[in-house]
Amino acid sequence: MIERTLLLIKPDAIERRLIGEVIRRAEVKGYDVVALEMVRPGRGILERHYAQHRGKVFFQPLIDFLLSGPMIACVLQGDRVIEGMRSIAGAGDPTTAAPGSIRGDLARDWDTPVYHTLVHSSETPLAAHGEIELWFPNLPPMRVQRTFNSPMPPPPPNLG
Amino acid sequence: MTERTLVIVKPDGVERGLVGEVLRRIESKGYRLVAVDLLTPNPATLKRHYAEHEGKPFFEPLVEFMSSSEVFAMVVEGDRVIEGFRSLAGATDPTVAAPGTIRGDFGRQWDAPVMRNLVHGSDSEVSATREIAIWFPNL
Repeated sequence: MIERTLLLIKPDAIERRLIGEVIRRAEVKGYDVVALEMVRPGRGILERHYAQHRGKVFFQPLIDFLLSGPMIACVLQGDRVIEGMRSIAGAGDPTTAAPGSIRGDLARDWDTPVYHTLVHSSETPLAAHGEIELWFPNLPPMRVQRTFNSPMPPPPPNLG
Repeated sequence: MTERTLVIVKPDGVERGLVGEVLRRIESKGYRLVAVDLLTPNPATLKRHYAEHEGKPFFEPLVEFMSSSEVFAMVVEGDRVIEGFRSLAGATDPTVAAPGTIRGDFGRQWDAPVMRNLVHGSDSEVSATREIAIWFPNL
């Protein structure tokens, strides 16, 4: 069933110039980007986004980290995209996230108060619904999948 | 000298899922994104953008193609980025654009009224200033 998920590309990924690499992986997996913005969110929206973690020790450090620079917010669409994006994002601890995943290949521990995990991806359909409403309140409803009959892009060349 | 350029991933690039690939190459080269927008452009915007081609036989088909679906517009910043992105994009004709360039690696001829060459990049400082004002008036 076609669904949508919210992907946040966090300040560490912007700083490290990995926006394209993250979006490339989502597109090559076969998902469509249906909305995308470069944002500088305020504390309020971040606190609502992470409301479930309010009161935990890492809550404020996490918010502070996300306030440290611009982010990319995007909505991805496709069959089982919520589960699929969690799968390609990899485990929450970047040092040991599986090789082949975004975090496993591109992230590690940097001795920071919270892990710099490059991306956030909605955990469940319920979370995806709430998060998309929070970040893209004006997004029109779901439409037919774009890439169904499109030719697949060739594999990326090795740029050394 | 730090400058800015306007880059557009055209409808063929968005449809084929090449936004990330184009962005990845821009970032790997060392440039920085300062603004992005995923939109279906209206013909009026495109007529301003392509004003220099008004009256040429490919003008209407070009505007029609560019407004047929979503494009990914962005402002990219860095020293000599105008020239640098044109270099990454490759020659206009995708069939013979050099391998290693965006068009050379991903583009080819399709049986279509206008050439589908995946990306646009401003060709001079004057064009960059003009185009950025058209696509990102609030920047």
